[in-house]
Amino acid sequence: MAETLLWVLPLVPTVTALLMLTTRKRILLSCLDIAGSAVLTVLTLVLACEVTDGGPRSLGVFRVDDLGLIFLLLLAVLTLAVSIYTVGWLKQALEVGNMKADSLRSYFALVHAFVATIVVTILADNLGILWIAMEGTTITSAILIGYHGHHHGLEAAWKYIIVTTIGISFGLFGTVIIYAAASHVMGSASSMSWAAIMSVAPKLDPGIVRIGFIFALVGYGTKAGLAPMHLWLPDAHSQAPTPVSALLSGVLIKCALLAIIRFQTIAAAACGTEFPQQVLLVFGLISVVVATPFILAQHDLKRLLGYHSVEHVGIIALGLGFGGTIGTYGALLHVVNHGITKALAFFAAGTAIARYDTRDMQAIRGLLTVAPIGATLLMLAALSLAGVPPFSIFISELMVLRAGIGQGDWVSITIFLLMVVIIFAGLLHHAGAMVFGEPTAAASREPEARSPLLAMLLLAVIMIVLGLTIPASFDGHLKRATEVIVD
Amino acid sequence: MNIATVHSIIDDLGALLLFTMILIVAASQISRAIYAVATQSLFIALAGAVLATATGNVDLWVIAGITLIVKAMVLPWLLHWVVRRMDVKREVEPVIPDMATLALAVVIVVMSFHLSASLGSVRQSITGNALPVGIALTLNGVLVMATRKTALSQMVGLFAAENGIFFTAMAVTEGMPLIIEIGVILDVILAALVMTIMVLRVRSTVDADIADLDRLRG
Amino acid sequence: MSGDRTLLLVLFEMILLVLLGPLLTGIIQKLKARLQSRQGAGVIQPYYDLIKLLNKGTVQADTASGFYRSIPVLVLVATVAAGALIPVVRAGPPAFPLGDALMLLGLLSLARFLTAVSALDAGGAFGGMGASREMTIAPLVEPVLMMVVFSVALSAGTTELGALEAHRGSSWILSWNAADFLGLAAMLVLLPAETGRIPVDNPDTHLELTMLHEGMLLEHSGPGLGCMMLASHTRQIVTLGLAAALFFPIGPVDTGATGFLLGAGAFVVKILVLAVYLALVESSYAKLRLFQVPQYLGIGFVCALMALALRIL
Repeated sequence: MAETLLWVLPLVPTVTALLMLTTRKRILLSCLDIAGSAVLTVLTLVLACEVTDGGPRSLGVFRVDDLGLIFLLLLAVLTLAVSIYTVGWLKQALEVGNMKADSLRSYFALVHAFVATIVVTILADNLGILWIAMEGTTITSAILIGYHGHHHGLEAAWKYIIVTTIGISFGLFGTVIIYAAASHVMGSASSMSWAAIMSVAPKLDPGIVRIGFIFALVGYGTKAGLAPMHLWLPDAHSQAPTPVSALLSGVLIKCALLAIIRFQTIAAAACGTEFPQQVLLVFGLISVVVATPFILAQHDLKRLLGYHSVEHVGIIALGLGFGGTIGTYGALLHVVNHGITKALAFFAAGTAIARYDTRDMQAIRGLLTVAPIGATLLMLAALSLAGVPPFSIFISELMVLRAGIGQGDWVSITIFLLMVVIIFAGLLHHAGAMVFGEPTAAASREPEARSPLLAMLLLAVIMIVLGLTIPASFDGHLKRATEVIVD
Repeated sequence: MNIATVHSIIDDLGALLLFTMILIVAASQISRAIYAVATQSLFIALAGAVLATATGNVDLWVIAGITLIVKAMVLPWLLHWVVRRMDVKREVEPVIPDMATLALAVVIVVMSFHLSASLGSVRQSITGNALPVGIALTLNGVLVMATRKTALSQMVGLFAAENGIFFTAMAVTEGMPLIIEIGVILDVILAALVMTIMVLRVRSTVDADIADLDRLRG
Repeated sequence: MSGDRTLLLVLFEMILLVLLGPLLTGIIQKLKARLQSRQGAGVIQPYYDLIKLLNKGTVQADTASGFYRSIPVLVLVATVAAGALIPVVRAGPPAFPLGDALMLLGLLSLARFLTAVSALDAGGAFGGMGASREMTIAPLVEPVLMMVVFSVALSAGTTELGALEAHRGSSWILSWNAADFLGLAAMLVLLPAETGRIPVDNPDTHLELTMLHEGMLLEHSGPGLGCMMLASHTRQIVTLGLAAALFFPIGPVDTGATGFLLGAGAFVVKILVLAVYLALVESSYAKLRLFQVPQYLGIGFVCALMALALRIL
């Protein structure tokens, strides 16, 4: 059963995408969209149960373990939320003219093709397939980012495809080097399978693995948005259609992190945990520090969220860099928390932007008066992103911090805390100014659309629940995933 | 063929590859860069064929054939088509001066030889100096992508970088598994197509060159 | 001191080079004309030009110093002396102390320096401009040529061309290694620059905007100009001979008459191949703008540097 699911899962979005090409009706497309996402979610939950009972499964080039499952769950939930959100968003976008009715099916099909490549990325056991799927996500999402077809969108898309392709070339190079080291040990039975390489990892030549890991980290780190390779991220996240922004920020950059984690485990087994952790720590700190000034000085709402993603990817890298059970657990939890929260933030920002028809935060005022629910959700998302208890991000940031204290790495902790406090102030200042005050005359006072609210509520509930308590089954996945990495 | 002959042939091909790479870095006209990258792919295919004969590895024949058809013929043809279609007036447009780029290219080559010294133990005796050449090609391809403003030059850089990775893979492991290599080539083709579409789209919708897109900052 | 090449042989080779120099120019001109679908002058036209010039009187600028008249002779002597260092019909070290490839390059740049000095001495505007341009490009060409020489010399452990050629024996392309390819590539890039041809210089024109080498000769006349012309013909064949000696060394060590003829024949073939290359380049490329020349030469520089690096690493 579980083995079958492994090849069914990537097929679901693929088939959905193909089906979408057969129709032009908006209602039908939206139904297909939601149905496809729902099936994906249900199957993912089934797979999660199977893996809980029977441990990791593999089939050909695919393999699922608890580590992959966490990312898969995040993907499924966000895809579903995006599908629901798209219904209302699309209606508005069509009215304004941001989207064109006759090219809708290609948009929907691309979104699902994008999801399909992400699923393959998560399930891939073969490092080569992982790379191919990762480049596939670049290709599909590049078109989506430039989908609006205006000057800025196309520029962001071009920057995205060039920068990430440069980066991902390094990733392939690192993969080749690690594969070379592995086939040197494995001899004729050489394969690019992560599980197979892990089984011989302690025997690999540490020097070579080190170089391979650096290349892979820089490569997939570009895709993950780690500074200083983050140049594409704010542009792409701000210019893409809002649902795509949510997917990019919520899932895609996390999948690149999954790839980094895969290489990190190999490197840790081959040349000790110290080396990969140090490297991740440095990149994490750079990301957090680089993102801060841009967040403070930002005027563009979606760009602000983009830079915020850089910061949080940095925090995840810090968690992995501090290492240990707590740090790794915290990092994985942060992956989920940030994914959910950031998607919520993008949704709320998207509706606010549509209402005011501007992305300039200084022009968005008094959201609470014109759209009370949306404003509340935006404020909740901002509070959570800033790391206020009792929201989920607070918990995971605390865990990362705890791991750092356990390591006794005071310099990193000081920098980390300082930046988090500054960003806290900056973000709440921006959010407060938007939500409260007198609404500007340009603000539309239409009632709030239902489907975006539904999607946002879904995410907000998950966000709050994860902040209050972590469900036992999910906790089990996280713990076993931590073991995969820490061992 | 005995080992020594293969060794020296691969070495010589490596030198020719480096030469084509220098031509790409130094090219002041986009069509010359395209010819250079096509020649480079041809040499990669030749290297694959030589290794295939030497090791009796059928996969390598397939890879050599695909490289020859796709990278030495189809993709350069595509690029030439775009050049004609767009009536390219602005040729290469480097971000930093050409001489600086060339100097960087030299630094990269020397560094690659250094780096490969520390990768000594995975080097296969049969492929000799292929590893540093592969690294140098990859990094120089990236250099071209990073230091050129025009879309076509960046695509040429991408192809050169992929060539470098292929050559590295041949150098260290006699090639990656066939299915992976095919997947990688497929990705490159798709990326090239998407980039081409984007270039044409930028031209048709906002009437600008990719090089003019520089409004997003901060 | 024992060696393979006697004084007599070296002198003979030197004279042969000087005599064949104008013929080579004639051949290249003819080839170019043919490639451009023209009839072209006969291959011995340069000889006629030289004889004509030697029979003419000399006119000299008023501003020129007394040194001016002797410069053409000095340039010719330096160039011809450089020719003595090129092995033509036979490989192997010389039997008496003779300079090496560095000496050759030094003599060539001495000749170039004297030419530039004479152009400045005459006081003409074009001469000064030509000299300054030539001296802008020369520092880019010469070090690279030197690097190419070193990259080959490293494999033999000597910079003496005869010995170098003998060491490399009759090695052919298959036994070349990577450094040879890059070195040859650098050499091929440099040849048009060193012989004053397109895309760096244009030998056919006296248009003030394009000329480099010709600009420096404008003030010379009569036998002086003849000497200068002969020197540049010789310089061309010497440069090609250097390239041939470095990269296509098929000079037999056999001392008999057959060996002699074979060596001479091989030399002619090698020079002709390079001549065809030059003619092809001249016909298919346009002259570069002056400030693009450094970039063009940069390709040669990078190739030479990598050839050198490959030899050392």
